[in-house]
Amino acid sequence: MKIVRLSRRQRLLANCAPISEERMNDRAMRAAVFCARGSHEFAHQQSFDRAVATLVRNVPVPPEIEEWFSSENLVPRSKWKWKMAKNPAVLAVAIALAVIAGVFVLQFLEHRHDFPGAEAARKLLMAAASTRSVLLDPVRTDAGALGDLFFMKHQLEHYDVPPEFADFRTLGCRVFDDDEGHRVAQIWVIEKGMQFFLFPAERNAKTGAALSFSGWRHVEQEGWTGVVQERNGVCFMAALHGREKDLTPYVSKTKE
Amino acid sequence: MLGDARKAQEVLQATLREAMLRSANGETPSDPFWLFRDARWRCLETSEHGLQAEEVNLQEYDLSPTAAAQIERLDVNQLAIWISAAPEPQRTALALFYLDEFNHREILSLAELKIAELSRLLANGRRQFQAWLDTTVPQKEAK
Repeated sequence: MKIVRLSRRQRLLANCAPISEERMNDRAMRAAVFCARGSHEFAHQQSFDRAVATLVRNVPVPPEIEEWFSSENLVPRSKWKWKMAKNPAVLAVAIALAVIAGVFVLQFLEHRHDFPGAEAARKLLMAAASTRSVLLDPVRTDAGALGDLFFMKHQLEHYDVPPEFADFRTLGCRVFDDDEGHRVAQIWVIEKGMQFFLFPAERNAKTGAALSFSGWRHVEQEGWTGVVQERNGVCFMAALHGREKDLTPYVSKTKE
Repeated sequence: MLGDARKAQEVLQATLREAMLRSANGETPSDPFWLFRDARWRCLETSEHGLQAEEVNLQEYDLSPTAAAQIERLDVNQLAIWISAAPEPQRTALALFYLDEFNHREILSLAELKIAELSRLLANGRRQFQAWLDTTVPQKEAK
């Protein structure tokens, strides 16, 4: 140890030298402690302070109070400052995260009502948008009567129009293969220029069993809207150019 | 600060109740230490009631190299009573300092002191405590 000469200011600060190093976040204090470190007096002071602080830490705290503060620092240290938000890098990351979150939310909203066969139904809505009447064979009858025609002429079993749409008068119909080779029946009716589609329900890849669902399900694609029902492994979709509410009256009694 | 666990618990509950009310009303002050200021004033107010420590001129001894060993032999309640009997603002200074949660600038702000005052209060406090320590736990015993 040596005799240390401290300025008055340094003596004042050394007397207040923090017990823990982590509290020594002041330049003048660090300088004073650095200068005082060589003296016996300061060494005794530090030893004394540490012993008292240890005793203080042993003050028993009632269990219920200890629980309140178990996960909290006694002194809140603010870590986030709004100034940081103005940093271009922070802004860029925040915007990127917001965009990614937005995409996920949109995808979730778009697919939250999905059902087995929803993807095929969307493709058929696009087919409906591009269909011209000349492509269909002219047939003027009730839509419900075409089930027999599909069965007898094309061997399409259970390609039946549900009762809700069976009474609509037809303009024409056709049967075609979609991209995946599935047989699709298409019917054009007079009522609001609606088109009906009958197509195989989606099947389990392992067992080959049709994935069924109950009631009417709604699907939309590029301004076209459709309601879909599955029965006996065949899906029926009524589609029109418009919104969900335009089709609701037809299925409102049975839609889930 | 109070030397009485029951009073301390009452002050803590009152302080937290005030904090929750302020928080619920969106009136939380921007000062991060407002809760401690509030607690300190409540402690001072509470300590004005009941028995008061007599004002006496305490002896002061130089800090001993064996002080740490002497302090180890103390009961925590003896320390609490000694600090709570100190006059204001020395009591606040000692309590905040030995809590070891604040740097010196924060203690100056909380205790509303100047650096020279804090320095004197702590230095005197240590020397007075050493004198009391020597009578309570003699140095020979500690060795």
